[in-house]
Amino acid sequence: MLELFAFVGLPYAAILICVAGTVWRFRNDQYGISSLSSQFLEGKKLLWGSAPWHIGILIIFLGHFIAFLMPGVWQRLMAVPLLLALAEMTGIAATVMCLLGLIVLFYRRLTSARLQKSTHIGDFIVTALLLAQVGLGLMVAGGYRWGASWSTGTLTPYIWSLITFSPEISVIRDMPIVIQAHVVGAWLILLVLPFTRLIHMVSVPLQYLFRSPQKVVWNNPRRNNQAVAARVTQESRRHFLKAAFGLSAAGLLLSVGVLDKLGRFFQMPGLHHDEEANLLETRLRRLQLTAEEKELELERLRSDYIYVAKLAELNGTVGKYFIDYSMRPGLAFRAEDGWPMLLSAKCTHLGCTVGNQVDASGRILCPCHVSYFDIKTGMPNEGAPAKAPLDRIAWVVRDEQGNEVATESPRGSRTGRLDPTLAEGYSLFIVRSLSAEA
Amino acid sequence: MKQPLVSTLFDFIASRIPLHKLDVRHMITEKEVPVHRMSWGYYVGGLALFFFIIQVFTGMMLLFYYEPTVSEAHESVEYITHFVTMGALIRNLHAWSASFMIFCVIAHMLSALAMKAFAKPREITWIAGVLLLLITFGFGFTGYLLPWNQIAVNATKVGLASIDQMGQYLPAALSHLAEDVRVTIQGAPAIGQATLSRFFALHVVILPLMIFGVIGLHVLSVQLHGMSPGIEDKPRRKDKFFPIFILKDFKEWGIAFLVLFILSLCLPFDSLFPYPLLEPYNALGSTPDGIKPEWYFYFVYYPMELLPFWVIIVVMTFATLGLFAAPWIFKGTSHKTMRWIASAIAAYMIVMTLFGENIYHAIKG
Amino acid sequence: MLNTFLLLLTFLIAGSSFAYPEFQRFSQNNSGRPINCAMCHANGDGPEGASRGQIGSLTPDELNKLNAARSAFAPGVPIQSPILNAFGNNIITVIGKTKFLELRAHPEQLAEVYGYQSDLDSDGIADAQEYLEGTHTLNNVHGNPMKLFLHNLKTFRLHVILIVLATIAGFYGFSHLLNGFAASSNTKSSVERYP
Repeated sequence: MLELFAFVGLPYAAILICVAGTVWRFRNDQYGISSLSSQFLEGKKLLWGSAPWHIGILIIFLGHFIAFLMPGVWQRLMAVPLLLALAEMTGIAATVMCLLGLIVLFYRRLTSARLQKSTHIGDFIVTALLLAQVGLGLMVAGGYRWGASWSTGTLTPYIWSLITFSPEISVIRDMPIVIQAHVVGAWLILLVLPFTRLIHMVSVPLQYLFRSPQKVVWNNPRRNNQAVAARVTQESRRHFLKAAFGLSAAGLLLSVGVLDKLGRFFQMPGLHHDEEANLLETRLRRLQLTAEEKELELERLRSDYIYVAKLAELNGTVGKYFIDYSMRPGLAFRAEDGWPMLLSAKCTHLGCTVGNQVDASGRILCPCHVSYFDIKTGMPNEGAPAKAPLDRIAWVVRDEQGNEVATESPRGSRTGRLDPTLAEGYSLFIVRSLSAEA
Repeated sequence: MKQPLVSTLFDFIASRIPLHKLDVRHMITEKEVPVHRMSWGYYVGGLALFFFIIQVFTGMMLLFYYEPTVSEAHESVEYITHFVTMGALIRNLHAWSASFMIFCVIAHMLSALAMKAFAKPREITWIAGVLLLLITFGFGFTGYLLPWNQIAVNATKVGLASIDQMGQYLPAALSHLAEDVRVTIQGAPAIGQATLSRFFALHVVILPLMIFGVIGLHVLSVQLHGMSPGIEDKPRRKDKFFPIFILKDFKEWGIAFLVLFILSLCLPFDSLFPYPLLEPYNALGSTPDGIKPEWYFYFVYYPMELLPFWVIIVVMTFATLGLFAAPWIFKGTSHKTMRWIASAIAAYMIVMTLFGENIYHAIKG
Repeated sequence: MLNTFLLLLTFLIAGSSFAYPEFQRFSQNNSGRPINCAMCHANGDGPEGASRGQIGSLTPDELNKLNAARSAFAPGVPIQSPILNAFGNNIITVIGKTKFLELRAHPEQLAEVYGYQSDLDSDGIADAQEYLEGTHTLNNVHGNPMKLFLHNLKTFRLHVILIVLATIAGFYGFSHLLNGFAASSNTKSSVERYP
């Protein structure tokens, strides 16, 4: 019964009384249709209260009306998560603006004796109603999120059922009490509208916001100067208001378009366990590679001989990379006479690693600055950026039993001999005692 | 009568750092900015500051995920690019903004040169500015190594190896000195974990501390002395620094952010490199093709490829010293000549940066 | 232990021998961009060697997959060769090994035969196109810069519109702030202007 009154009786009564009351006001009290401006009594706090309140409430009205009048369009827009978030954030920001504005206005009424002279009991009722309504709106927005989206399926049909004279309260009956209170509050405000200063809504003085200042011409020079000064102040205030508009819009758009991204940067990326496993595997491989490098280094610090390759594996067309005693890459080749040739692969120009493919004229290429090095002598080509030859690296060849059969010193002097018939069993080593540092 | 040295020094410092002007009213409300055909130069420095601020913020964000070890650095950068929400955006912002910042710093220096902004009493502003230029290059060089991919490590290797080259011009007894210097910078005979740690420390702690200090000095002395007049003639008018100039600065920052953001969102910095260069650095394999430093080093890189090394050393030493000494070298030079000098340098930089590679290939065949 | 490890390492650094270098050579010449085996192979140094994604490191299970892939002569057989990456596998799946071997003489036709439908890294540039342009088919931040830019501009159009709007609004705000300051600092002179 109570529900029927609150959601059907009250709305119709409110609409009826509102329409009738407004007509009555227009007939009997036409000049009273205003907000009863008190700017000349107190201006500063009025600006800080009135501007946020009016800007905020206009934005909120716009949002509510679009949702009620064009639910289809609105719903399609709200299906885009970003727009939904944008709408909700705008709504909440505007509500907070309203609330702060109202509190300033209320405080202003309470603390100025001058104002209280022109304050009626109706003003307090209106303020209390509006405060309650805005507060409830904020609670709805905070407690039942994404109202911009769910309202089109619940509250909009209810309003339309009232407008089409087929009241349907089943949707609203089961809604949380806060939302119901918000709806009832709306009807109550509509009810008192014609009898309070809220009536100024029907004259919608939107041009207040952006009108140019009125020009007053005085004959008295002093008053004239004051008037011009006031006009200029007003003009600059108009600019500042627009500036505030522009900048807050920019801030809002930025926070949606840019800052939300930056914020999400810190969240843990929700990875599928397959992705997680792949990532971990890659990382593990890298760690293993590093460990292998460290082992190589350790080996070079500990052992006097480092294995390079089986002599038989080597050839004169593709060099085999190895790591020398100072952890720099070297290249191993085998000359036509069957003897190994070991060169440093560190370019003598700027230290790039030289390639291992031997070209037709027996040269290898450093790709960084295009120097060709002859593999027999290590010499760079004429005009190459590199001037010095690649260092030769000393080596030892051992047979299967581990006996040294041949060596070469860093200066290229060879000792011993290689038996081609036993070449299969030969292994090539680099030697610490013969390396350039030693 | 000859003044004692100490009092000359005091006079010099007192006129260069006029601390008696150090009050907010003087520096903010009374400061004015002349408006004339060169006044675009006044904005470039602010723009460089803006990109630096972006660098600070995006850099701190990247620090949340980056791991400065040879085994993890590359993977962590890949993780940022491909898995962290908007990680690619942040990384691109950092990369693009770095390039923009360096461009603005160079343009700022050239415009200051063209406006003879270093003239007395602004010598300290200028010297701080030259230091900032060097620190900025230092940021570029150290930051380039951190992703630890092929191009990063190999380009750094090439850059550091040019220190070795100086050894050949030293007397025999000192010829190892150059290599010692390089090894000290690298922290090890070969580029590796030690180098990465050092460059990381430089890039995220030491250079930022330095740049904050020098920016403070630079901006403070700009505020104390006001903007340099820039041209000989009277300016068309003068704008108040606050709020007019500041607001115009902000408008420009807005445009800069728009361009930077769209670029970073849509054009990955990595797409400008051949992909083999983006693979993790392989200490044991061969160096891939196409190793080059960043574009802002082209003006010294390509001449280095073409000319004997000692020419580069001589020219670079004189250029750097000349930059520091500009206030005294060009003391009597007219504004017009300064504009010619600055234009010549700018022309050289533009040609080398845009066509350096073509010139190199044309000469080397 | 150390010996096996060393053996492994020598394989690892042998590198740079490749299976079908015709395609790599063509892509490189066609685009002018240096590329390597990572275009189609799991390992940037090609399939031979003993590190990850190379023949020397395969488990028995992976060897089975490799053999299955090697006998996928007809198109349409889904394969998972451990030495190929997703693009390499997809080439064999789509055109079949027989056709692939034929194309070695005409590597420029691979793009046409493979078709322009597949975009494995969904960066807006078809795999075949990336093959012609020498960019990576499996890395969505790698591609022809201009095409990548235009594609991302479309993907992120909402953000682009938002930031453009924000900039316009900010400009409007700053301009009016400037005018406001100009107006308020003119108070004095205006008073003198209207005597």
